[in-house]
Amino acid sequence: MRLAPILAMTLFTGGTAHARAAHAQAAPATAAQLAVRLAAIPAPVGYESRLADTVLALLPGARRDRAGSVVLTAGTGTPRRLIACRLDEPGWVVGGIRSDGYLTLRRLPGLAPPLFDQQLEGHRVSLLGERGVVPGVVGVRSVHLTRGRRVDDSPYTADDAFVDVGARTEAEARGLGLRETTPLTLEKRPHRYGDSLLAAPVAGARAGCAALLRAAAGARPARGSVTAAFVVEQGLSGRGILTAVNAGGPFEEVVVLDTGREAGVTVAPDSTLGRSVRAPAARWRLRVRYAGTPVETVHLGAVAALERRIAEWIRGAR
Amino acid sequence: VSARLVLTAALLTAGAPARLAAQAIELAEVERTLETLAEAYGVSGMEGPVRDEVRRLLPPWAKAETDTAGNLWVRVGSGGPVVVFVAHLDEIGFRVSAVRDDGTLELERLGGFFPSIFEGRAALVHTGAAVVPGVILPRDSVGDTPRRSPPPLRADVGAGSRADALARGVRVGSTVTMPKEYTRLAGTRATGRSFDDRVGSAALLVALRHLDRSRLRHEVIFLWSVREEVGLEGAEVAARALGTTAARVHAVDTFVSADAPFELQAFGSAPLGAGAVIRAVDNSAIAPVPLVDSLRALAASRGIPLQLGATSGGNDGSAFAPWGVPDVPIAWPLRYAHSPAEVADLADVTALARLVRAIAEDW
Repeated sequence: MRLAPILAMTLFTGGTAHARAAHAQAAPATAAQLAVRLAAIPAPVGYESRLADTVLALLPGARRDRAGSVVLTAGTGTPRRLIACRLDEPGWVVGGIRSDGYLTLRRLPGLAPPLFDQQLEGHRVSLLGERGVVPGVVGVRSVHLTRGRRVDDSPYTADDAFVDVGARTEAEARGLGLRETTPLTLEKRPHRYGDSLLAAPVAGARAGCAALLRAAAGARPARGSVTAAFVVEQGLSGRGILTAVNAGGPFEEVVVLDTGREAGVTVAPDSTLGRSVRAPAARWRLRVRYAGTPVETVHLGAVAALERRIAEWIRGAR
Repeated sequence: VSARLVLTAALLTAGAPARLAAQAIELAEVERTLETLAEAYGVSGMEGPVRDEVRRLLPPWAKAETDTAGNLWVRVGSGGPVVVFVAHLDEIGFRVSAVRDDGTLELERLGGFFPSIFEGRAALVHTGAAVVPGVILPRDSVGDTPRRSPPPLRADVGAGSRADALARGVRVGSTVTMPKEYTRLAGTRATGRSFDDRVGSAALLVALRHLDRSRLRHEVIFLWSVREEVGLEGAEVAARALGTTAARVHAVDTFVSADAPFELQAFGSAPLGAGAVIRAVDNSAIAPVPLVDSLRALAASRGIPLQLGATSGGNDGSAFAPWGVPDVPIAWPLRYAHSPAEVADLADVTALARLVRAIAEDW
């Protein structure tokens, strides 16, 4: 096994005092570096604990709330404000383990981009097994064996997927720490290109969390309190942010970090969100290209700008 | 490479039978060689980095020559009948066919594969002088009736204009791949892109390193060819150079296996882990039956697991057909050929390397 996967497995497991200390020592110097690091960590919806552990380790004073989100409140009293980013991403779980060692899949519930399942075909996945990350690939028909034969051109779905972890039998697959409901995502290999561009699945969301983490670690409100929340299950039921509101609110103002197509960072009031969180609410959208694909792209310069803007907001700027 | 394998070898050496220890060491050497070759980039026509690695990994006594096509030759022994082994250096990928005004790159496929599995993925543009990272663009919209196949693929290197792309060194003719990495799976399985035909190339190298040259009774040529994926072009040059001199050729290439639940099961029936394969029938050649039977007997005499099968695709050995040279392709079973997720079994590769050596020394 190569060194990189071993390091990644160490990073993903998190949680122990030793690991936390290691994470704290290795805290990235910039929001851009942190964005790259967070983009490498899988956090399928409902199974965000590895990413949450990393955020927890990098944000002194933060705690897990009852939903599994990571929250940090700075300051006391009113006004109480909340700013949140999303930890979760779409993903899959193992639906079954066949006698020949192949795994079948079920898509996790919640929102997912178009052709999301097709991202699997012929690519690597990371299975978050009981004993660490297990690498695997999703099989694809060999082009040689289909040549001259009718090929279905309808989109690939999770029902078509067979995951190959190298196991020859069901027992061998289970011996790797895999079972029904083991979560998985595409293998994460954040990719830098152009001038300060980062491509990765959900790169925009991870960049938002990196900016929030950096800002929350360094800024304090001039008056009142600000809660920074790194929330789970945003793409499913909103359980993370609603729990943060119900347990820590009421808030006078709520900001949710999101992604969009417009240049830079745009601010859009969101009355629907406001009704859910029972406060004036806005979405701050960080521009991404190729949203919802394995190469969702964010400009790392914009991440630094977002960090500065969040820090100003925490301090009290309108 | 694999700390696990080295550890296994050490443990076996400490207390287990010598045969098992030798097997573990053999597997470790195969893995080390394959990992190096599989992580080198060499789309058809730009095989230089792979050829350099092969040359570097040759045994010190081997004298290598590169011909005008780019094929790498190593000749061992002397006299007839001349036997040729040929594995190909190149891999599938893309070639930049145009640079648009907006800085994006139009791509032309080199080799056969499903373009959908390259859509929306990280990319590397190989200019010859540098590697420029980028992405292969996802489709702009999915539409009301989505299809698996994307529109013609383009790449983005983060350039805002044609001039910007050119300033980064990108040119028409640059080649494009996805980043890749060798990864060990469970047991003796491994995955990587371009196992086709870095596995064959690795098997030739390992066989050459362990060859007992004192046993050779004739000349044996080890050939690493170029541009196989775009029409056996390198092998055709080599075949023309040898003419009727060669008595037998062995393409050492992939056996595209149907060893997966979603594949057509009518043929391609050589499962992973059951040994090397005689690729007796494919789209380009049919191995002569007496030679097939003789080779099976040779493998049995050396205890080398060897399967027999029919599959699809062409092989470099068929380029020698115009000179009447019998082609007996030997292979290893591969799942998911021509994808980023190719899977092979290292035990099969070990068997293949042993088979190459046996043929050179005894057949």
